[in-house]
Amino acid sequence: MTPTTMIKTNGISKTVTTTQGQLQILKPISFEVKAGESVAIVGASGSGKSTLLSLLAGLDEVSDGEIFIDGQAMHNMDEEQRAQLRGAKVGFIFQSFMLVQSLTALENIMLPAEIAGHDDAKKRALDILKQVGLDHRASHYPNQLSGGEQQRVAIARAFISQPKILFADEPTGNLDAANSDKIEKLLFELNQNSNTTLVLVTHDPVLAGKCQRQLHMQAGELTEVFANTTTEQAAQKVG
Amino acid sequence: MTNHTFSLAWRLFRHETKRGELTIILLAIILSVASVLSLSLFSERLKSALTEKSAEFIAADRVLDSNSPVDLAWIEKAKDMGLNTAHQTYARSMVFANEQMDLVDLRAAGIGYPLKGTVKVADEPFSPGVAINRLPESGEAWIESQLFQTLAIKVGDNIEVGDKIFKVSKVLTEVPDAGFSVFGGDPKILISKVDLAATKVEGPGSRINYSYFFTGDSGDLDNYYDWLEPQLDREIHDWDSIEDDESGIGRAVGRAGQYFLLASLLAIVLAAVSIAVAAQRYSMRHYDPVAIMKTLGAPKKMVQQIYLLQILFITALGITIGVILGFIIQQFVVAAIANKVDVSIDVWHWRPLIISIFTGTVCAVLFSLYPLMKLFSVSPLRVLRRDLGANLSSRLIQFVASGGAIFLLMWAYSQNLKVSAILFVSGIILVVSLLAVTYGLIWVGRKLGQGKMGAWQLAWARIHRRAMDNSVQLISFAVTIMLLLIVLVMRNDMVQQWQNQLPQGTPNYFLVNISQAQQPNLEQHFASNQVVIDKFYPVVRGRFVAVNDEKVRTAVSKEDPDEQNNGRDGLGREANLTWNTTLQQGSEVVAGQWFGAKNNSDTAAQRPYEVSIEKGISERMQLSLGDKLTFNIGSEIIDLKVTSIRDVNWQSMQPNFFFVIEPRALQNFIPTYISSFNLPTERKADITVLMQPFANVTLIDVDARINQLRNIVDQVSLAVEFILILVLAAGALVLIAQVQASMDERQQELAILRTLGAKGRLIRASVVFEFLIIGVVAGAMAAAANEFSLYMLQTQIFQMPASWHLEYWVIAPIAGAVVVGTLGALGCWRLLSLNTSHLLRQMV
Repeated sequence: MTPTTMIKTNGISKTVTTTQGQLQILKPISFEVKAGESVAIVGASGSGKSTLLSLLAGLDEVSDGEIFIDGQAMHNMDEEQRAQLRGAKVGFIFQSFMLVQSLTALENIMLPAEIAGHDDAKKRALDILKQVGLDHRASHYPNQLSGGEQQRVAIARAFISQPKILFADEPTGNLDAANSDKIEKLLFELNQNSNTTLVLVTHDPVLAGKCQRQLHMQAGELTEVFANTTTEQAAQKVG
Repeated sequence: MTNHTFSLAWRLFRHETKRGELTIILLAIILSVASVLSLSLFSERLKSALTEKSAEFIAADRVLDSNSPVDLAWIEKAKDMGLNTAHQTYARSMVFANEQMDLVDLRAAGIGYPLKGTVKVADEPFSPGVAINRLPESGEAWIESQLFQTLAIKVGDNIEVGDKIFKVSKVLTEVPDAGFSVFGGDPKILISKVDLAATKVEGPGSRINYSYFFTGDSGDLDNYYDWLEPQLDREIHDWDSIEDDESGIGRAVGRAGQYFLLASLLAIVLAAVSIAVAAQRYSMRHYDPVAIMKTLGAPKKMVQQIYLLQILFITALGITIGVILGFIIQQFVVAAIANKVDVSIDVWHWRPLIISIFTGTVCAVLFSLYPLMKLFSVSPLRVLRRDLGANLSSRLIQFVASGGAIFLLMWAYSQNLKVSAILFVSGIILVVSLLAVTYGLIWVGRKLGQGKMGAWQLAWARIHRRAMDNSVQLISFAVTIMLLLIVLVMRNDMVQQWQNQLPQGTPNYFLVNISQAQQPNLEQHFASNQVVIDKFYPVVRGRFVAVNDEKVRTAVSKEDPDEQNNGRDGLGREANLTWNTTLQQGSEVVAGQWFGAKNNSDTAAQRPYEVSIEKGISERMQLSLGDKLTFNIGSEIIDLKVTSIRDVNWQSMQPNFFFVIEPRALQNFIPTYISSFNLPTERKADITVLMQPFANVTLIDVDARINQLRNIVDQVSLAVEFILILVLAAGALVLIAQVQASMDERQQELAILRTLGAKGRLIRASVVFEFLIIGVVAGAMAAAANEFSLYMLQTQIFQMPASWHLEYWVIAPIAGAVVVGTLGALGCWRLLSLNTSHLLRQMV
């Protein structure tokens, strides 16, 4: 059975208004991501990786083009509808962890489940906290945890609502090599176990290499897409 | 609202309180509630205690004065409404004895009089009086000391008042409602009300005043007045309380009341400023959690509910702690002054509690409104782009919400539109001028910085970016300093004025009817007894006959019956006329020109005689410059031309005159003289020795009254000092809160500088310099705004002469720099004591 398309973009672009006039920071991009696939968006700083991620995740609005998430036309949605879609289908991991400082590790993990209105938020959070090996740190606040631990909490938070898509923005960018390895391992493990579609933005070629596909960005353009899994290394130019 | 939303809000609140995240905003609310409660509770207690004490000066809480007897049903109604009542009739009448006569102030007291204060009597003239708790019985009269002199009688003799003969059984030394005029009043005689009819002094053409006294709960009194007011005729009736009293006491208490009100209003504004600062900080610290929640799919409504609930929890906690703290502070103050202020201040008032809770709630909600709206507008994109702030940038909502909140609070609290408006407008002027200054600088900078992008332009870009933050911070400092200046300067000016009014050595005895021949002997005799006699003022008695050839009775009928003045009774009858070439101290010519010393040459003889009249009398009798006044002195008629109008300080305990005449007009009349002297209370017994050789000279004893006045002024001054200390403390706390809030913004910069290896001393110096500059600018702006507010307050509210306060133009910037600089240094020291990794971690 062919996997369904989880993300489909059709000529999406982003234009911002500056004092000098209109500036297109993302040129029209079209691609698809299948369900369960892992994709890395790579490129130099300022190439538009994060902008693309923000559009895919519905954190920002496209200026033009179409985005379908799990078949739903996100480009037609308002902020509230996009939030609803994120709550139902999307998980996030950030470079700076983005944990709520005044909530404990456990409560941070519970947050998405509570927002979604799940009554078993605590039970789910405890389960997943165990999976990331931090059950002994449940009542600690983020600033009492190391960077690696904070990112594990963030990963646990991302998976608690069993999202269909996981967006990760430089998930190991703030971590040392040892912690990066642990986090990468955990991320891919959970991704595989829950058959989540993974879209991550990274500078790190090793991390990017662990994904099934890479999208290369340069100066706001998607320059090439290539698959890591096949030996052919069939590079495909994107028109 | 779902259970999840509530529990999330509650959990956030609990954790944040525990972790000290909410300390600043919580402190601001606690401070606002505690300061408003303690200030208003204290001032309300003190004010009511002072009013209670001062009420003795009108012998009741409220007095209804009338030219004719009022409907008895009115009095019955007052009794039905739970009020105590009493009645007294005043008449001016002649008294006869030993073929002598004098015009007296006859008072016929009814049962219950006085409702407040006491009547004091003595057995011998000029002896200290003791309180007596009964009134004269039928046939009995108590008369003042000076009447014993003028009538040449002693205790036990008979006198004749109208058609009735009375036996003088006591010397009347004090009645509570004596008033404070020394020369307007005639000697008083107190008789029983039942004897009044028999005297037959009531009749056509007689000048009688009926006073009805009321005491009771202030609410009942107000209700009664609400019932009574529609039935009152302004031409005949006058409803008075001590606040309406124009005497020194009335004014002192009235002004103190205004001051307490002002101080409490300023405390509210201070509280509001601190909440605004804290709410801003609170909002900015929650940008990340909001962005995270939105990213995780939280609908806008849920985010709004979570934070509104948080504010609600914080407000409730802040109010609870604030009320407890405010009550404790107030108890401390009360305990501290209990033995100094001679009034009971142990009364509970509900209004301060309600107003403080109301203040806390309104401040917390309205001042959080804009910061919260900003918070709600934070984009979820902030999780990726940390530099993104709130999307809402219109400050209009903030200004309208905060301005409206402050104004409404002030108005609701003071129920005085004028005071609120003056303070509010001053505040707006300050804020607008500060904004103008800041934006002016930016505009100039942008002009200077045009051209290709360089360091200069970058610098101005940075200033521009922080312009709003800088100006908001500057404004909050300046407003705080201005408010403190107002409270301080008003206190100084007011206390100074009170003290000027009654300096040490203020005359407490007046001598009237001194003949020219007696003058040197009297001076010598007093000097040999170590008593210094003041200046002698010549006086002739003149009957006011006509204005511009129009009979004076017509002019008198124009007078405003509402106007109470110490000397009104003297008009239309006889007035004391004096002459002088120099203007009396404390008087000021407000129109025309003082005649001064003009030569008496032949040409001068052609000129009409000139007279200077008192301002109040000119208004009441509608006299103006150039009017011709006609007096009948002895058997002669004399015409005078009004050439100046004087503002006379009636509060000063010295002889004052309605009419001061050019000396040459009166050179042919034989005057008597009046003078005054100060005799310490402990030497009272020496009076007999002093006065014995001068039997015809009348002595008026105002010692008791001066002591009463000084006592009240001392107590009010002390109370004002305490209020000042309370407000200064509140202001200091607000400044600390502001510096703390701004330290937050500097934390990141400090962490970076530390990480880059900058020395603590360098960082501290740079922060201190920054705060010094802010302090100086804020202080200077505050001094300017202070001048404007004080001018408005003094002239419009406190009815006192406006004054410049140039010294504060120096003091305010220096004090601003020192205080803000020190607080900045302390705040900075706290941050620097944390290690760099801790600082950096806090930033994450």
